[in-house]
Amino acid sequence: MEQILGHARSGYPFEVCGVLLGRNGAGARRVDRVIPAVNREKDSPRVRYEIAPEDLVRIQREARDDGREILGYYHSHPDHPARPSETDRRIADEGLSDGVVHMVVGVERGEHASPSAWVFRDGVHAFEAEPLEIE
Amino acid sequence: MAVKVQIPAPLRSLTGGQAEVELDAADVGGLIEGLDRRHRGLKERLCDADGNLRSYVRLFVNDEDVRFLKDKATPLKTGDTVAIVPAIAGGASL
Repeated sequence: MEQILGHARSGYPFEVCGVLLGRNGAGARRVDRVIPAVNREKDSPRVRYEIAPEDLVRIQREARDDGREILGYYHSHPDHPARPSETDRRIADEGLSDGVVHMVVGVERGEHASPSAWVFRDGVHAFEAEPLEIE
Repeated sequence: MAVKVQIPAPLRSLTGGQAEVELDAADVGGLIEGLDRRHRGLKERLCDADGNLRSYVRLFVNDEDVRFLKDKATPLKTGDTVAIVPAIAGGASL
């Protein structure tokens, strides 16, 4: 968890992002490895993020080789609340996100980082708060 | 020509929980049709009404994005690995 919060603070005032991994069969909500990713958003990296599919396919392969799989993703909201925005919800709803964990880390003035964890549900087109275990 | 297809978690409800499926296909378009025959509904999640790959889905053949190859006409051969990768983006702004 401290790795994620540290990444969010050090990346301030820009949004940072990364991937949450877990051991196969260890439970859908048990994260035991975190891989920071590059925010590929070019126009508005203070308020938007994008993980390039090229980066994601590489991370996915590394995870599989390591007996892990992608459980979800994290990103920060510099000086914005630690909860999914309407942009987060809309993009998740358009995409392949059912059951996927999204951690959102609010960062106030680059100092105080507060995490929150959510799971997107296609059935209700929304994120639901989700307890998340991070080793 | 057996090809391995890696299925992301949000689509596994359509594959009976399988993270990887193997099937024969000569190209990416044929692969999508074959996947849909075996796991009904997969094509609709991957392609729009015109049959084009949806903007939030990327298919990689051995780590190469098919958009930079021949898209759905990209040929496949035995031993190839096809990864279905979702686009991940968002952020605080509206």
